[in-house]
Amino acid sequence: MSSFWKNLTKGIVKSNPTFILMLGLCPTLAVSTSLDNAVGMTAAFVVVLVLSNIIVSAIRNYVPDRVRIPVFIVIIATLVSVVDLMMQGFMPALSKSLGIYIPLIVVNCIILGRAEAFARRNGILDSIADGLGIGIGFGVAIFLISFIRELLGTGKLELFGFKLFSIPGLDQNPAAIFLFPMGAFLVIGLLLALFRQLGVSKYE
Amino acid sequence: MRKSEAYPVLFLTFVVLVAVVVLTLTNSITRDKIALAKKQAVAEMLSALFPNMDSFTYDDKTGTYTILADKTTIGYAFTAEGRGYGGPIDILIGLKPDNKTLQGIRIISQQETPGLGAKIVEASFLDQFSGISVDQVKLARNGGKIDAITGATISSTAVVKGVRNAIEQRLGKGGTG
Repeated sequence: MSSFWKNLTKGIVKSNPTFILMLGLCPTLAVSTSLDNAVGMTAAFVVVLVLSNIIVSAIRNYVPDRVRIPVFIVIIATLVSVVDLMMQGFMPALSKSLGIYIPLIVVNCIILGRAEAFARRNGILDSIADGLGIGIGFGVAIFLISFIRELLGTGKLELFGFKLFSIPGLDQNPAAIFLFPMGAFLVIGLLLALFRQLGVSKYE
Repeated sequence: MRKSEAYPVLFLTFVVLVAVVVLTLTNSITRDKIALAKKQAVAEMLSALFPNMDSFTYDDKTGTYTILADKTTIGYAFTAEGRGYGGPIDILIGLKPDNKTLQGIRIISQQETPGLGAKIVEASFLDQFSGISVDQVKLARNGGKIDAITGATISSTAVVKGVRNAIEQRLGKGGTG
């Protein structure tokens, strides 16, 4: 198995950023209320993470250890601002639906975590693979959480305006608690336990 | 050079300078496009409120859009803010030329709870405002014409109050009661 493929797949289950590394839980709690949010956040997140990994990997031999964290933070903050401005300028429709998630990415510590733990020690190609894998892993996690929260919290599932299905009865009297932070903690906690019980937490 | 005490400082300074240049460039490329996109978004929202609209003018001082069709005024529009559960709710209000009847309202931006308060953007809630008089902009339980969204009283009240306050302010207190 090539290292590119290995680095890509490890982020999805074995070192899933949300359930195994337990990074970036704060923005995950905040946006995982609907499938739309999950898809939007994942798309914006993957772009920024891959770009950040590429840049950090490219300059890894020149960054002095003592100032690496501030350097990474400046890079990530700049990237997020550039992506935000570009989307507002050139893709206003997309920016309208994703716009609120972009600034949230800057506080997502997964990106800094990958710069620190992976990109500054590995080549560009492997760093791209890592960014994609971790991005997909984040997407899988937030999609699962959103799926449960939207289904129980509203009694139905929708994706970009299309009604997927609804549970008769529950859609009239949904368990709105799942849309609140309390419900987010419950769902994340149970999924975490499930992931660990399934024995996928071999990552040390 | 790399071993020098000053290298980390110089490197960080360099990175920050590059970031400043990149951000300045991005800003100058996108500034006009963003302003244009925002104008278009407002125009789209206005024409959704006033389907017959030909054009509109904007008065900076009062913050009022005057909606024109065949060179006659068919209504006014202005923005209002309500205090929602998750933060400010920006509302666009359309008034008919008599200044007493609502053409309708639209939500410009909101951060209410998805699945509950965020339903204020849905047609089933917004359509209740179309064609009613200013006095009727109250929740049904207070004798008005607006049914609150189940489980989202705060969000519904925020919109209703935001709309009422903005119209009353515009007409001067006591204008329509």
